[in-house]
Amino acid sequence: MMSTDADTLQVRGLTVGLRGGKRQEILSDLSFDLRSGQTLGIIGEAGSGKTVLAKALVRGLGETMEITSGQILYRNRDLLRLPRSDLNRIRGNEIGFIGANPTGALDPTVPIGEQIVEKLRAVHPDLDARSAKQRVLEVLTAVRIPSPEIRFNEFPFQFSGGMMQRVMIVDALVTNPSFLVADNITQALDVTVAAQILRLIEELRDRFSTSIVFISSSLPVVNAVADDVLVLQNGRIVEQAKPETLITKPQHPYSKSLLARLPVIWGRDVVAPKTERAPALLSVRDISRTYRVPKKGSFGQFNAVKAVRGVTMEIREGENFGIVGESGCGKSTLTRLLAWLETPDSGSITFQGRDLSALSKKELVAMRQSFQLLLQDPYSSLPARMPVRRIIAEPLMIHGLGSKSEIREKVLAAMDEVGLDRSLENSLTVGLSAGQRQRINIARALVLEPKLLILDETLSALDQVEQSKLLELFDRLQKAHGFTYIFISHDMALVRKVCHRVAVMYLGKVVELAENKTLFESPGHPYSRALLSAVPTLDDHPFKVEDHLLEGEPPSPVHIPPGCTFRSRCPVALGKCAEQEPAIVSWSDEGQISCHLISDKLTSGGRHRWGGRHR
Amino acid sequence: MFVLNFLLRRLFQGSIIIFLVTFIIFTLLRVVPGDPARLIVGGMAPDDVVIQKAEELGLNEPIPIQFIAYLGDLLSGDLGNSFIRPKSGASFGGSSFDDPTRAERAAVLDLIVDHLPLTLQLAATAIVFGLLIALPLGIAGGLHPGRWQDRLAFFSGSVFVSVPNFWLGIVLTLLFSVQLGWLPSIGYKGYAYTILPAIVLAIEIAPFVIRTLTVSLAQVMQEEFVTIGALRGLPRWRVVTFHALRNASIPLMNLFGIQLGTLLGGVLVIEYIFDYPGLGLLTINAVLQRDFPLIQGIAICISAMFVLINIVVDLAATAVDPRLEY
Amino acid sequence: MANIEHPQTSGSARALESLTPTQRMIRLAWSKTFFKLGFFVFLALALATAFYPEFSGIDPTAMDFKARLVPPLFFEDWTWAHPLGTDQLGRDVLVRCLVGLRYSVLIGVTTVALMFIVGCGLGLISGFRGGWTDTIIMRLTDAQLSIPMIILAITILGVSRPTVPAIILVLGLSGWPLYARVARSVTQAERNKEYVRGERVLGASDLRIILLFVAPAVLPPIAFVAVLDVARIMIFESILGFLGLGVQPPTPTFGNIIADGRKYLINAWWIATMPGIFLLVTLTSLNLMGSALENARNQVLKGTA
Repeated sequence: MMSTDADTLQVRGLTVGLRGGKRQEILSDLSFDLRSGQTLGIIGEAGSGKTVLAKALVRGLGETMEITSGQILYRNRDLLRLPRSDLNRIRGNEIGFIGANPTGALDPTVPIGEQIVEKLRAVHPDLDARSAKQRVLEVLTAVRIPSPEIRFNEFPFQFSGGMMQRVMIVDALVTNPSFLVADNITQALDVTVAAQILRLIEELRDRFSTSIVFISSSLPVVNAVADDVLVLQNGRIVEQAKPETLITKPQHPYSKSLLARLPVIWGRDVVAPKTERAPALLSVRDISRTYRVPKKGSFGQFNAVKAVRGVTMEIREGENFGIVGESGCGKSTLTRLLAWLETPDSGSITFQGRDLSALSKKELVAMRQSFQLLLQDPYSSLPARMPVRRIIAEPLMIHGLGSKSEIREKVLAAMDEVGLDRSLENSLTVGLSAGQRQRINIARALVLEPKLLILDETLSALDQVEQSKLLELFDRLQKAHGFTYIFISHDMALVRKVCHRVAVMYLGKVVELAENKTLFESPGHPYSRALLSAVPTLDDHPFKVEDHLLEGEPPSPVHIPPGCTFRSRCPVALGKCAEQEPAIVSWSDEGQISCHLISDKLTSGGRHRWGGRHR
Repeated sequence: MFVLNFLLRRLFQGSIIIFLVTFIIFTLLRVVPGDPARLIVGGMAPDDVVIQKAEELGLNEPIPIQFIAYLGDLLSGDLGNSFIRPKSGASFGGSSFDDPTRAERAAVLDLIVDHLPLTLQLAATAIVFGLLIALPLGIAGGLHPGRWQDRLAFFSGSVFVSVPNFWLGIVLTLLFSVQLGWLPSIGYKGYAYTILPAIVLAIEIAPFVIRTLTVSLAQVMQEEFVTIGALRGLPRWRVVTFHALRNASIPLMNLFGIQLGTLLGGVLVIEYIFDYPGLGLLTINAVLQRDFPLIQGIAICISAMFVLINIVVDLAATAVDPRLEY
Repeated sequence: MANIEHPQTSGSARALESLTPTQRMIRLAWSKTFFKLGFFVFLALALATAFYPEFSGIDPTAMDFKARLVPPLFFEDWTWAHPLGTDQLGRDVLVRCLVGLRYSVLIGVTTVALMFIVGCGLGLISGFRGGWTDTIIMRLTDAQLSIPMIILAITILGVSRPTVPAIILVLGLSGWPLYARVARSVTQAERNKEYVRGERVLGASDLRIILLFVAPAVLPPIAFVAVLDVARIMIFESILGFLGLGVQPPTPTFGNIIADGRKYLINAWWIATMPGIFLLVTLTSLNLMGSALENARNQVLKGTA
């Protein structure tokens, strides 16, 4: 590797080991250069040591690890051999750091502006308070935080994750650093917000002429911003390449496997699951759920959080139905309503032709056998003190189904069916893998012979391999028992792969419900397009973020503005979108949509409304 | 606006609590054995005097009627008169039922107002002493979890919380007053008399502060905004003093509100040991002498103080951490 | 932070993982020197309390005028027969302390058990049911925490005859709200756990969930902290005894021994001092154990161990 004057940072033979006890290397002999004005992407999966690298570059390793050898040359000075006092003059000033967790990065009890000013003046003691504040406001404006003068005085908890990440970007850039370490900065964010942040980073790099070390676990994300990419595996660099080269001609087997495992949403080989007409199993008619939370600074007053606002959908027997949306869109509340863990304030849910709210307590308990919910976290969803067989038997015991020996038979049969070894029947769940735990969950639901399974992010905690194995299992069970599945997920690739029909939620409403093919290839709602445009993928993308996603974040579910709730972020909003809420109209092959653009087109075309058909 | 709402709500809740205390104490004192009228006129008085006194005080009315009458007086700021204490002078009046001084009883409110300042002085001194002991131990422990500073804080906290206060009072008196003659200890003739009782009370307060501070500071030091502070360019002393301690002080304030009862218990016993003429000694004597109106008045005043202090504590905590706003 | 395998710790970590949280807390506390110190001191005291008074054959109330005011070990005129000396009536201070400790522990443990049962019961219900039930129970604890219970306690005991059940009731009355609050908050956390949601979906009743899942998870950690409360109640009991509002003489309790000894402080300092040191050691051993358990609980619940 040649070093030139244009290099901001040269890392040579950097090795990090655990402190004390046995010597173990976390990072081994890393060498790379960061050229000024460039972005160096570092891609690595969990456990590859990428966060350790991020911290090591700024000499911020905790007490458990230490740098055992190597050099980090910044402007020809070795950061590792710099005395503390000199380091403190550089770090936070010429070197910026942004972490993965923006919400915890600042003191929760002090306004953000004050904290950034504090930092600025700590590294520039000559700066007076006025000009420091001026500078902070300037940069707050540069990252497009709305009304910066007001937000300057607000506290971290008053910011959303995305806004807080912008604040942290301000915090890093306010000193005009010559290089910036960005450690997985989009990890905790929703896809549309993450896309906005990425766009911002690119823009700011040019404006502030900062070099960036951009670390991420997502190849598409790194690909989007980096000039050069390092692939990190088990603390070693296995490949370094230009992003285009890495994607088209990966050299190292690990890079190849990374590429191969990327989900594909758009492409020639992608076949959308086909819908078949079938009678409705679960009918959801105009349900709403509002939570009352005590209003701050008031006397016995409440805020109404409108979590679900008038959702109507029909799930057909034997289909895979997907519900997608970003955090805060109301899909968790909808899940609880569908599983009848909570009851809707208005509207009705009909299962197998019976209105759930009309059932007696006893009938409801009996009915529960037929619809089961599989939970997200395979660890906390199983009780810790029970052996596997007892866990799976629990539903049978609750419903009093069968004698002891019959129950054991059923449990063992269910274990066979989901692929759990019979020898596990007496062991506790500790030490079992996430996949095995999810199988226990599935078996527990299975013994009741349900009709409907609701999968609440059930697969998102699993790796790709486990995920596809379980998907095969779901498929097999569906063929054998005629199950119906509802997949609630934020993972667009998963939904694309398995769901027949998909509902897209935004701020408590289903903005679009369509068949898989329609939704992914020719969606009607601008939000669906925005969501799809933000999905990080290497596919030949039909939707570009620049065309489909505006700045801004969803409004709060407490103060829902009149008109269409998406209009604040909609690139094609009309005048009337601000005044009138669009009605739900039926659209393209049994789908439904709520958008003025579409309904205008339809009324001129003379199609009837959704509501009319159902009453 | 928020502060006003908050104050209104809390004062409203507080008045309910004070009403409850009044009711409970009032009922309790009416159902326990012992005839108040007999207590007032003295054991030697003939029965007809007792009956007449009872009539005079309305003691023959049903309890709810008495309670309403008491409430009425209470609202006009009248806490009644002591059964036993004369308007001035010693706590015991003449022993004879026809002693003319018996007619003149001290007003409960005056008694409380007279004794309260000394207790406040004791409490304030003790809190200062307590913090002087606890802050260094607690902060050192919180900054060095698992190290000797932490163990020292842990051990000293465990020992301090195990010291019976009355015993410590006796031992310190023996040592500093009797043996060494450094500090006065019995009664009150000047500020020096506050110091020894305050030390005992400080030892009682200190372990709670040490423990809470150690635990909460160690926890805050693990928070991302502290660990990342150095990477942002903030010097460590700045992170610790302006951010870690600031956040760790919130549980400390809440602790103060919760431990008020313990503090009060300490004050009672310590004033009794040192014969320190504050509210605590007044209370214990009132109980031992069955001076019902006085007990009642003190209980009401103290719960009012509890309510007010808790409001102040919550306001202070909210000022430090705006997330607590409710 | 990325997941890093620590091969040298993973073996013991896995061993820890196979334990229930409660077992992990005990394991963690036991690894602390202070906990073991407290444990063994308390064990020794407990054995002495159980056996020494009968074994030595000394009656705690028996007077012996030939052996009045004997000083404790290693002071002038000491004797092995009375390691902590004797009082003005020639009664053995050590035996009186040990018998006092019996009452103290009896009252401490029973009171805490009472508070624990009442407080945790209400807390479980409050945390699990929520809504109206919760509001009422929580307002009740709020009110109780703002009432100066100490005044109520000494008033009740001052005007009625203090018997052991009365003392236990009065002390217990003052402590349950804290248990209710802790039990409630832990229950709420537990109730929102995924597996409880899962049980609901399966159709389990509230009672089944509480008895089978919530209570076994919630109660043991709170019981650890109750150790601290036993020490607190023991101090309280001694205070009552000192004020003459506790168990009445001639039964020896720490409070009344010290109150008694105070009169002879100048001539026979040990009568008041020795029981205090004895009590101090006992309580310190309890507090060391209790605090270590509390720390262990916090660490385990926060997942830092």
